[in-house]
Amino acid sequence: MTARKSLLKVILLGDGGVGKSSIMNRYVTNKFDAHLFHTIGVEFLNKTLEVDGNQVTLQIWDTAGQERFRSLRTPFYRGSDCCLLTFSVDDNQSFLNLSNWKKEFIYYADVKEPENFPFVVLGNKVDVTERQVSTEEAQMWCQENGDYPYFETSAKDATNVAVAFEEAVHRALAADDKADHLIPTDTVKLHRKPRSATSCCS
Amino acid sequence: MAELLKVIFEREGIFLHPSPDEGSPDQDLLVSGSLRIIEKDAEILVEYRPLEDSVDPSNMLCAGQDSSSVVEWGQSAGEKSQSRQLLETQQSYETEWDMVNAVSFKKKNYTNGERSLNHSHERSRWAFSVNISDLKSITVKEEGWTFLILQLKDSSSSIPALHFHQGGSREFLDSLRRFALLTECPEDETRLLVSTPSKALSQSFENLLDDNNFGLVHKFKRDPYVTTLGSFSKVTNYIYDALRGTEEQQQQRPPEEVADLLGEVIPGLEINQQEEPGFEVITRIDLGTRPQVSRAEPVSADEWSKHQDPEGRIENEAALRQRIFKGGLCHAMRREAWKFLLGYYPWTSTLEERKSLQKAKTDEYFRMKLQWKSISEEQERRNSRLRDYKSLIEKDVNRTDRTNRFYEGLNNPGLTLLHDILMTYCMYDFDLGYVQGMSDLLSPILFVMENEVDAFWCFVSFMDQMHQNFEEQMQGMKTQLIQLSTLLRLLDLAFWNYLESQESGYLYFCFRWLLIRFKRELIFSDVLRLWEVMWTELPCQNFHLLVCCAILDSEKQKIMEENYGFNEILKHINELSMKLNIEEILQKAEGIYLQIRSCKDLPHSISSILGFDTQHRVSSQVDSGSRPVQQQDACSNGHCRDNRPQNSCRGVFTS
Ligand SMILES: Nc1nc2c(ncn2[C@@H]2O[C@H](COP(=O)(O)OP(=O)(O)OP(=O)(O)O)[C@@H](O)[C@H]2O)c(=O)[nH]1
Ligand SMILES: [Mg+2]
Repeated sequence: MTARKSLLKVILLGDGGVGKSSIMNRYVTNKFDAHLFHTIGVEFLNKTLEVDGNQVTLQIWDTAGQERFRSLRTPFYRGSDCCLLTFSVDDNQSFLNLSNWKKEFIYYADVKEPENFPFVVLGNKVDVTERQVSTEEAQMWCQENGDYPYFETSAKDATNVAVAFEEAVHRALAADDKADHLIPTDTVKLHRKPRSATSCCS
Repeated sequence: MAELLKVIFEREGIFLHPSPDEGSPDQDLLVSGSLRIIEKDAEILVEYRPLEDSVDPSNMLCAGQDSSSVVEWGQSAGEKSQSRQLLETQQSYETEWDMVNAVSFKKKNYTNGERSLNHSHERSRWAFSVNISDLKSITVKEEGWTFLILQLKDSSSSIPALHFHQGGSREFLDSLRRFALLTECPEDETRLLVSTPSKALSQSFENLLDDNNFGLVHKFKRDPYVTTLGSFSKVTNYIYDALRGTEEQQQQRPPEEVADLLGEVIPGLEINQQEEPGFEVITRIDLGTRPQVSRAEPVSADEWSKHQDPEGRIENEAALRQRIFKGGLCHAMRREAWKFLLGYYPWTSTLEERKSLQKAKTDEYFRMKLQWKSISEEQERRNSRLRDYKSLIEKDVNRTDRTNRFYEGLNNPGLTLLHDILMTYCMYDFDLGYVQGMSDLLSPILFVMENEVDAFWCFVSFMDQMHQNFEEQMQGMKTQLIQLSTLLRLLDLAFWNYLESQESGYLYFCFRWLLIRFKRELIFSDVLRLWEVMWTELPCQNFHLLVCCAILDSEKQKIMEENYGFNEILKHINELSMKLNIEEILQKAEGIYLQIRSCKDLPHSISSILGFDTQHRVSSQVDSGSRPVQQQDACSNGHCRDNRPQNSCRGVFTS
């Protein structure tokens, strides 16, 4: 068997306030803290999971979204195995900025083959009723930009958060050893077709 | 045990320009290679290895004037990594980059391939390795690029000049400084005299580390000073013989270690290295023991009122500041005292004057508030900057100190005030507008003032101090990180070296500390205490950097013992948040201050960071050089004297 990576670096990018920190905390601690501070600088949390009977440590990096702090966050892009591009479905601007985030990531992460880099797109805050971005629009963007898997998440009520990270792990490992086919295990269900994203990741 | 071999510095693209009399068959030959500083068996060596192929200048294409273009190497696949490295270097070393572009390499027409037959033979003759203790001096020359001439103590041998066409000479010298003292030669300012560390250095961190794993310490512990004197000119392996094959080249690079390091290379903030003055000697200082410092009780309302004259002027401001520095303020006094500390109220103003000042400031505040309040929706639609500020503020107000009673819950008026003051500040300084972190700076002030107008003007004063942190280029942050790095390197070379070896020498992990002055690191009431202490501007300039040093001093043992890497250091520091004890930190920081203050040969860089320069000048005017003023501080039993220049008259009275 080929030796898989046992440490995966996943980075959350997106406009300020879309819920990156909340998503990370939801996934790692399974809590939603409505009193969370906005992020200054960079932070990361580890989560260990089991994939195919192997221990994998997921290192989730969370950054500050504001433009001004770019020079601080970009050095940390290097070495990422997967990038979670995040917007908030109740904030159209954050959706429009996805391409900028993608560009910034590719530029600074020094990605060898940008076409093949595993991105996963998250439309957060689906629990909110006043949406500004429709599921179709978002799926369209994902399709056009490289067939990225798209998940509509809610850090608040935990919708799709774990699923999205599992997909990220899946993608990262798949990119790591393309030849080796991934068989989902009981511990981690690697959903290839999440409910909310039927059209974009076939 | 595995052989101790550690690459401290490594850079490719260093050239030799052998002259015909050095036996080069071709007078335009450029030898390109990599320069390393390595630690091997507790010796520090400078090594040069030519690349596979020495660069044929006729194959080198140069970029035009446009600094965004990239130098291309018309070379074989082996050169690919080099042009890649160039790309990476481009951002951080813009200036040196420009120099690369300006260099025009002479083209030479000779038949291609003629020399390549003999490359392997050709290149090894230029390799060299020299122990730094055998270096006598380094001459730094500029010729559109920097080149260094290494002189050996043994004058019978010489090393060809190293040409840094792609920059990196400064980094090289900086790395050397970690192991040797580079002093400007009095007769020749381009020449740096090299001397290897003395006993004082090893002493200052001997007690920190007994672990041999830390090669650096290991080396110093051997008391290299004595060693150096003994082996006056022991040049090791100097100029490899042509017959020596590539084996050294392979073995000198510990594969995993370098790969690990490179894999985790995090390019620096684009810190402008030029800021460090010239080639100042900054290697170490010999600090005495750190004095025990005690803290005092907070200034009470009673005590405060004793400092007011009948008309409300503050008498003996200096003593009051001193008291606040030592003990802070009791909470009830803060609302009044902070206005003075922040400069909203002049210390010398009377109660009457302050009333009218406040009235004028109230009018001014509401005039500015009305400006954004009265903007219609259509106007706002056309003003994207205002819209952006507003949306950021709204997002951040909802995420600032929401567990504090002043800001908790859904419709707390505190939230509205926070929002309105930040919006008004955008009108006050539209160029800066709102940047994340500012809500953290305002929150404690508003909490203390409980008044929109006063909070605004106090915030304005605080922002005057913090402005640079938030500016477009974040110059304030860069400067502080460099200053902190400089301080730490001097205070605690071993720890600094450790951080540096973990790619953390630029102290990224202190970013949040510095950006918002520990606001997120301390519990709310401790933030109030720290800030009022800092606002006294005592005991020296940039005291907050010593606060950083104090915290790091408490954490270094853990960090080094656990052998934390880049990520773990960042995580560890981030997770200190809310676990720090402010009184302990302040004690330690003041102790460090006293330690530095009593140090006799303080490097200029340190005195200027801490503002001792101006103070020194003043105090030497006062007591004409009899006893060093600093000593009084050190032995003053924790009672720190006021060193601010404007108070130097106190010296006259006491002497
Ligand atoms: N309704 C709802 N609110 C959410 C959700 N996720 C986050 N939020 C809220 O949105 C705001 C922003 O969330 P953060 O997690 O701080 O956003 P961020 O992307 O980390 O922002 P920066 O740190 O500024 O880059 C907070 O007030 C959260 O409580 C969600 O799924 N649903
Ligand atoms: Mg965040």
